Amino acid sequence: MMEDIVFIGQIAIKSSVAVLLATIGEIITERGGVLNLGVEGMMIVGALAGFAAGFATGNPYLAIAAGAMAGGALSLIHAFFTIKLRSNQVLCGLALTILGLGLANFLGRPLIGEAGVRIRAFAVPYLSEIPYLGEIFFQQSPYAYGAYILGPLAWYVMFKTRAGLVLRAVGEDAAAADAAGVNVAATRTIAIWVGGLFSGLAGSYLSLSYTPGWKETMTGGQGWIAIAMVIFCTWNPLRAFWGALLFGGLTALQFFFQATSIDIIPAYVLKMLPYLLTIGVLVLVTSSGKRRRSASPADLGVPFSRES
Amino acid sequence: MLKKIVLAIVAVLFLTAGILSTDKAVAAEEDKLKVAFALLWTIDDQGWTTSHYHGIQKLEEKLGDKITISYTEKVLAADAERVFRNYAQQGYDIIFGTTFEHMDPLLNVAKDYPDIKFEHCSGFKSAPNMRNYFERMYQGEYLAGYMAGLMGFKKVGTVATQPIPEPIRGINAFTIGLKKGLDEIGADYDEDKLNTVVWLKAWRDVVNETTLAETLIARKHDLIRQMADTPDSAAAACAAGVPAIGYGEDAAQYGATCALVSTTFNWGQYYIKAVEQVLDGTWNNTPYWGGMEDDGILMSSFNESVPEEVKAKVMAEHEKLARGEDTIFAGPLYDQKGNVLYKEGEQATDKDLLTMRVLVKGVSGKIPQ
Repeated sequence: MMEDIVFIGQIAIKSSVAVLLATIGEIITERGGVLNLGVEGMMIVGALAGFAAGFATGNPYLAIAAGAMAGGALSLIHAFFTIKLRSNQVLCGLALTILGLGLANFLGRPLIGEAGVRIRAFAVPYLSEIPYLGEIFFQQSPYAYGAYILGPLAWYVMFKTRAGLVLRAVGEDAAAADAAGVNVAATRTIAIWVGGLFSGLAGSYLSLSYTPGWKETMTGGQGWIAIAMVIFCTWNPLRAFWGALLFGGLTALQFFFQATSIDIIPAYVLKMLPYLLTIGVLVLVTSSGKRRRSASPADLGVPFSRES
Repeated sequence: MLKKIVLAIVAVLFLTAGILSTDKAVAAEEDKLKVAFALLWTIDDQGWTTSHYHGIQKLEEKLGDKITISYTEKVLAADAERVFRNYAQQGYDIIFGTTFEHMDPLLNVAKDYPDIKFEHCSGFKSAPNMRNYFERMYQGEYLAGYMAGLMGFKKVGTVATQPIPEPIRGINAFTIGLKKGLDEIGADYDEDKLNTVVWLKAWRDVVNETTLAETLIARKHDLIRQMADTPDSAAAACAAGVPAIGYGEDAAQYGATCALVSTTFNWGQYYIKAVEQVLDGTWNNTPYWGGMEDDGILMSSFNESVPEEVKAKVMAEHEKLARGEDTIFAGPLYDQKGNVLYKEGEQATDKDLLTMRVLVKGVSGKIPQ
């Protein structure tokens, strides 16, 4: 029994890492007031670039860096359109997803079926020996440990430093921030770029660690789940852990129920739950009257222009 | 102005995405018979579509001087009718739809072009100018199961795809073979839990294939049966040190080196036959459902860990099937609850097999609604 719970926990963490990283990235972007629906596209490009770099060089560090940089590079297209040209963020984000999927698909064809770098799970000394919890949390891919650190770090920077204050100011009221002397365009560009790095990193987790290898469909909608999770965790990087764990936990349960023929909750319901819960949270957040404290950045999705 | 630029660029982005559904003519000359294929995915998907592509290559090799071949990749259900109609308008003489979802679109186009021959893989609807064809993959599944049984595997985990008759039939044949093998070596086993089945509810889904395989391995299953179009569940088994059995193409060639054997399609023999029939005017719409007697299903080479005597027994069984003696679904056969499906002396008909929606005794798990 305990063994099964530990295993479900392990799979839950393992399945949630990509969503977690992408969610943290998208929170940073949206806190700066820019909606980027291109997460799925940036993830798949990151997955391809990470795999390709690993395949070409055999160096896992280069592979991870290439994955993140590719996501970041793609996100700069979004920055150019939404900040420089002030175009519609929803439309541009969707185009970014389509572009990313198409580009990865097209460029990745020669790599299908090749064996590249595999980043293996790594048991953290001492910590992994903690009964149950150690096995669940500290016998994971190095990506998971990265996410454990990056989440709180993002929270700290966002809420405890001046840079974070600037970011949130730009997202809440770009005009006021501008009046206070903040460079709105630069701040937003950096927010988009950092979001892209995270998405690319999330993608490279899939192609280097989760299922090492390149398949053009490998993100399988996880980018969209990340976007839903941003709302679910009300734009807070620490709560992103809960959102991602929920997603990972439901994934793990769905398989476990099947493998053991204990079909308490039908798999379709489990697959639906992350979205249902997101809608539920959205309703709660917007109706609770605490909107200013917990919910969406006020200037989210609004292009900033000094003349208007 | 800016908005116009943005719109223009977005339009370009969409077009870039459109380029990806490629359309290739292998050769083009006017007087030759024109053959077209619509493929489900890309030719390098390492499974279903790759196996069809190998078939196309064989066809090209054999009849290349008499025909020209075109194919289109990633023909999904929504787009299929347009692709078929396009080929028909260009005057192709025989058009193949290679996946179940192509059935209705193909039929719609077939009605409008009575002089063109249409071929549909894995379906059941036909017309005077539209034929169904398929290979008896369950024969391969049966042999793979038999091999696993002879090697003493009694807690197999199957990563199954869509809960429709084709995979169900395969799971059953595998389990029947497994049981036969275990009985022959006199092993003890839990007769309700020989083969645990979990469903992807997709033909391919690399992340979930991996997770399902890992879940089954953590539940102490000793052999992973891959059924998806991609070899990732077999690869995940290899990474965890558990042997696997590949499907569609030889999984060992795609990095799943622990695969004991793979059951593979050989569409080429049928494509050559069908096109030759059009060439000499003997084509008719009698459905084709071939198997080992036509080499339509092949076993890959065995892993070196498979003992010689096991190989010999499996190959002897293979001989029988190749002679057309298919008694895999012969009674006595029971369902999961122990009810009789076929009595001693009875056997499932092709119609039963094509509509099979029940799992046999030995399979653990159920068919999702």
